Amino acid sequence: MAKLLDKQRYKCALGAMQTVQAITRAIPVLHSGPGCAQKLSDTTGSSGYFSPNIFPCTSINEKDVVFGGVKKLETTIENALKVIDADLYVVLTGCIPEIVGDDTGEVVSRFENAEKPVIYASTAGFKGNNYIGHEQVIDAIIDQYLEKSEEREKGLVNIWADVPYQDLFWLGNIRELEKLISEIGLTPNTIFGYNRGINQINKIPKAEFNLLVSPWVSLSNMKKMEKKLGIPYLHYPTLPIGAFETSKFLREVGKFAGIDQEKVENVINDHENYYYYLIERYADLFLENRVINKQFSVVADAQYALGITKFLANDLGLVPAKQFVVDDTPKQYREAISEEFKKLNYGLEAEAVFETDSYKIHEQIKEHDYHGYPLILGSYYEKELTESLKGNYLNIAWPVQDKVVLDDFYAGYTGGIRLIEDIYTVAVQRFN
Amino acid sequence: MSYKIAVASSDGQQIDETFGSAKRFIIYEVTDGIYKRLEERNFREEETDNNGVSAADGCNSSVSCKNEGGCAGGTGGGCGGAGKASAKAELVSDCRCIVCKKIGFHIQKQLERKAISAFDVACPVEEALEKISHYFTRIDNHESLRVQK
Repeated sequence: MAKLLDKQRYKCALGAMQTVQAITRAIPVLHSGPGCAQKLSDTTGSSGYFSPNIFPCTSINEKDVVFGGVKKLETTIENALKVIDADLYVVLTGCIPEIVGDDTGEVVSRFENAEKPVIYASTAGFKGNNYIGHEQVIDAIIDQYLEKSEEREKGLVNIWADVPYQDLFWLGNIRELEKLISEIGLTPNTIFGYNRGINQINKIPKAEFNLLVSPWVSLSNMKKMEKKLGIPYLHYPTLPIGAFETSKFLREVGKFAGIDQEKVENVINDHENYYYYLIERYADLFLENRVINKQFSVVADAQYALGITKFLANDLGLVPAKQFVVDDTPKQYREAISEEFKKLNYGLEAEAVFETDSYKIHEQIKEHDYHGYPLILGSYYEKELTESLKGNYLNIAWPVQDKVVLDDFYAGYTGGIRLIEDIYTVAVQRFN
Repeated sequence: MSYKIAVASSDGQQIDETFGSAKRFIIYEVTDGIYKRLEERNFREEETDNNGVSAADGCNSSVSCKNEGGCAGGTGGGCGGAGKASAKAELVSDCRCIVCKKIGFHIQKQLERKAISAFDVACPVEEALEKISHYFTRIDNHESLRVQK
């Protein structure tokens, strides 16, 4: 029977156009119906040199369904190369051309000798959501653009994290991860955001290893790079938020990279000293048990559900209720992620629920006894619900309506402090 | 269930006429996915003139505009052109789609309002009819257009 999905929290695979957009001077060329880019674009920082309103698009219609749209695709790519000054052209296919069987790969192969690289990713909506689409785009870069390098740059590390734009804090998070990695003496290389583009992509094959900070997104990309480019990878499933996880993260990366332990410990020490100085100053606020909620739930993609659960339990000593993972995590990753939720300090364990239907999530939140009013960190969909439960609410996951984030972040030591600020700003408003 | 397809072809073999230049349409009838030639419909310029709408007297004469309905409705695009095109659209108004080499934007919109699809392709008539009848058959039977690779 057909199912109706209430308030979904991701987009179709073509949403990966935002992944392309996050690479400076890379442009998506859409082989899709008119309006797809419009529907998929957010107003959250997606304007600029290229924006969804000017993405070249074949705007296929009924005629192309009947007679095929390959001719239109060819002229669209041809003219995009002529009129748009970009470094990388990524053709993305929507549902319609995939259904009617347009051979996009063949058309794109005709541009093999074009002045600029043209690659393509099959991002039909029925193949998955934009988390999968993001992987497809990175796969396309690996398969169709990158070549294995014999040369290796000492200490160079490619960092991969969650999906740009889908993750509100993508830019700040990845910059903070870069900063932490360079502090322990490594050279980070990332491809998203300001000043990161084709040059950084070209450097990927020279890296000593790939560092993936995500529960599951891009894991398949890491495996692909290991096979094709011979780059080993370190998979760190938890986005490090706050002192406990970030120190653990740095130790693990340091060990993997073979960095002198003392050097890593010194970096950790400096950060922790400052972190706990701040915590200590506000200890009276944190210890005042009327201020903050006893139990919390996170309703977000695997990255934030896991990262924030660990942070709130390990660093702030809150008790986790059910945690909801809403990114339609592929089944093969679920068990490992559920296990991660059980690795909390103080013998605590959290139950992870993989659910995409907001109605069911909301019902479970309503049923649960939070021993007082709940703390809900989720998308905008949880606002009304939390209000009805008289709880505290913070918007941390897509869709985001009541928060503007330019380059704020929750990753690292500083990110943990930012999250504390955000949560307690909400909490103290209750009394003032 | 049957429906009609109007084809703009000068020789009956190739789709070689634009909607605007076509003097006649060959009408095919498709029944249960099988098409056969039904008739030819010729378009006579004077028909439009008799209706009183032409570039010369169209807009100046309020009567003729009202008769036509196009100008008064404010559809724009020039009275003469729109009037002529409307008459031509009228000629194929019982068809499900029309196939021609090229078609203008405005007339395509007019056809859309009558729920007539326009396919602008340059290929043999046979090929177009095969593809279109295949498409409509799938649509009508609620079958997927998905190509099994």
